[in-house]
Amino acid sequence: MTSRRNFLKQSLLGATGSLLVPTFLKAFENPNAFAETTDKILVVVQLSGGNDGLNTIVPYRNDLYYQHRPSLAIAADQVLKVSDELGFHPALAPLQGLFDQGYLGVFNNVGYPNPDRSHFRSMDIWQTASPENYLQTGWIGRYLDANCPGCSVADRAIELDDTLSLALKGDHIKGLAMKDPRRLHKAVHNSFFHDVAQHNTADEVNDPSLHYLYKTIAETVSSADFLYRKAGTPAAGADYPQSDFSKKLKTVAQLIHARVPTRVYYVSMAGFDTHVNQRAQHERLLQLYSEGITAFVDDLDKHDRMQDVLIMTFSEFGRRVAQNASGGTDHGTANNLFVVTKPLKQKGFLNNTPDLLKLDNGDLIHQLDFRSVYATILDRWLEVSPKKILPDAYPALDFI
Amino acid sequence: MNDDPKTKHFLNRAAFGRAPGLKTPVNTPTWIKSASHNRPIDVIPAVGGPIPMPGQRTPRDAKARRGKFLDELTQLNTTWVSQMILPDTLWREKMTLFWHDHFACRVRSAFLSQQLNNTVRREALGSFGSLLTAVSKDPAMLQFLNNQQNKKNSPNENFAREVLELFTLGRGHYTEADIRNGARAFTGWAFNPTSGTFVFRPRVHDEGPKTFMGKTGHFSGDDILHLILEDRQTAQFITEKIWRYFVHEGPPDPDIAASLAKDFFRSGYDLHKLMTTVFSSSWFYEPRFVGNRIKSPVELLAGMLTQTGGRFEDPRAALFIQRALSQVLFQPPNVGGWPTGTAWIDSSSLTFRMTVPALIFKDLATEYVAKDDGDANNATNKAATRNLNCAVDWASLAQQFTKASTAETLAALEDHLLATPTTAANRKLVATQASRSTRDDEWMKQAFTAFMSLPEYQLN
Repeated sequence: MTSRRNFLKQSLLGATGSLLVPTFLKAFENPNAFAETTDKILVVVQLSGGNDGLNTIVPYRNDLYYQHRPSLAIAADQVLKVSDELGFHPALAPLQGLFDQGYLGVFNNVGYPNPDRSHFRSMDIWQTASPENYLQTGWIGRYLDANCPGCSVADRAIELDDTLSLALKGDHIKGLAMKDPRRLHKAVHNSFFHDVAQHNTADEVNDPSLHYLYKTIAETVSSADFLYRKAGTPAAGADYPQSDFSKKLKTVAQLIHARVPTRVYYVSMAGFDTHVNQRAQHERLLQLYSEGITAFVDDLDKHDRMQDVLIMTFSEFGRRVAQNASGGTDHGTANNLFVVTKPLKQKGFLNNTPDLLKLDNGDLIHQLDFRSVYATILDRWLEVSPKKILPDAYPALDFI
Repeated sequence: MNDDPKTKHFLNRAAFGRAPGLKTPVNTPTWIKSASHNRPIDVIPAVGGPIPMPGQRTPRDAKARRGKFLDELTQLNTTWVSQMILPDTLWREKMTLFWHDHFACRVRSAFLSQQLNNTVRREALGSFGSLLTAVSKDPAMLQFLNNQQNKKNSPNENFAREVLELFTLGRGHYTEADIRNGARAFTGWAFNPTSGTFVFRPRVHDEGPKTFMGKTGHFSGDDILHLILEDRQTAQFITEKIWRYFVHEGPPDPDIAASLAKDFFRSGYDLHKLMTTVFSSSWFYEPRFVGNRIKSPVELLAGMLTQTGGRFEDPRAALFIQRALSQVLFQPPNVGGWPTGTAWIDSSSLTFRMTVPALIFKDLATEYVAKDDGDANNATNKAATRNLNCAVDWASLAQQFTKASTAETLAALEDHLLATPTTAANRKLVATQASRSTRDDEWMKQAFTAFMSLPEYQLN
């Protein structure tokens, strides 16, 4: 068995601790790789489980809403009325200011044809942007593939989690999943892993599978060290609520303040699958959501970055119009979707209110295909062509 | 085993690697025969109450039900992992695992999941036609693909669609009309929710004439399956899937695939014959196909257990690792099954994979938290154990693998554990890691763990 590889002549970390670009990346070196950026940033917030849209944005004037939900509907006098027909669940009070100022926009009835009511399938559909096929890549992963051919690891999309979602998996390039730069750095500096990274180089590995593995290792170490250097010991920073969700947003803010070149962040919040005893749980979740988002927006605003950041909040489906027999709701279809930046081009409710009369077997019928939202964000915010990322062309929207 | 690369490659693909103490070289047909015993899993007793339908919860005892499902699924999952590596069932289990992905199914009843698993296990090595029919009539599959809702005058096409697209012909080899008419023929295929057995309901069956794949008749569901099997494309499709899983994850050599498909078709879809042919062909052992396939998480885990002879102290540890690596048996992401190849690998998953050996053999702590997939009904979101320890008889391994010199011992271990040679640099790292121990068994533990923490260990 002959060794086909040499020792890496220089270690990944120089004596002073500064980052040296691994040899194999030199061929693709992007001189601006670690430069600061004022490019626009997308933060995707995923509410996992199927957020009940009708109790989030409440049609408080619609009798049908109250008829379908005799005990679960939000009472009209509790609703924060923000238009003639729609209002917020009271737990969204912190967001009302954003809404009134035109920084928070709401799309109603967002979905796709032939809706799937399975969590796994519908979430895959939103993440792969493909209701028709079972893709192994996600829309943000394909964004990376199409726009990041020689990019440095820190240009990746970052997900604030231990596991990477399908949304961030491209064919060639994948996003980076981590809880925070400290944890990632610690995991990677587990000595054996780090030694393997330091003493090998991918550029002399012939086999494509093995090459991919060594490349991934090198990139992981490189990302970890870069992100730790930039944002591993952040300043005390703004006050955020004590929740897992807020903690993730705080980490995103710290990365943005540190001016890492990352363009897309992905944050999930679970618990929305409220089949049973929805009232208290949903209220708690909406509170955690609105407090977290508000703290995040305030933090970015103080650093004068909010105009560069677009937050898009979605859920894999809404819930059925009628409540069920367990004080909750079951899986539904179309749902609302929030967008936040300072300022939006269009304010308030960006399309029609939900139609509770014309239902599909008790479910809302979508009026806006979610891929239009993606296409608009890709084209106008991230400034890339949606071709190669989304299967078809979708009409652009005008909110940004 | 230096002089027996063929056996090594064969066991890497037909099983989960070589178990310590297994005498090599291995005669392929003999091994297959000795590892084909059928042992059904029997840990979930009969159906307990009506099966929960997707997206809904039964109002009474919802919490108790969820707890019960959690326990049952955990038991079912961990039982299969333990059974998967036993020598007398190993080949049948590997094929069952392959079909488990091919006929991907996910239902909220551990009993039905167990039943489907046993159906597949029973038919895994015989005729694909029998396997297809048995799976198509299986209650778990009928429920998962909504065939209970497929009735005369209100058809549900999901089942027919997935049978054609994913299980048999593949896209582009049938029309939407075929799906519609196929669905009509499958009306009436249902199951008794109390006993969990197949039931044909004639009153909801559409007896009218259907045109399917160019033929017209008053087709029943069985007739449709028969017509599907009469199409050579089915043989081609299955052959290609077998190729991608067992031989190489890339487009098959067209001549080889055509020849295999032709024989497969002619033999009446004889799976035993097909697989024996694959494993005894010289092209199977060509270097371009050897040692470069990325293991799925379950294969990675099963390999660690097989190659050490180890067993978890708490079987739930296997479930924790499956969750962390995003492949949980009985919980495929969708009917298309799990990802393959490099889709398993990203920064965080690779880092974790390379840390698993230290976690389970050396008691390394982890802060890892598995992702909650949002489903309140998903039992495994809550399944947890702190004890990931895998007990291994290191002393016995020390006896078996120790050679005259340290270098020779390390070479023997590398040959045993890795499907492809590693770098000189890594060998030094392993040697350094192991040299910290003076006791033989401790040395062996360090060396084994280090080798299994290398990128090369991700491949088979």
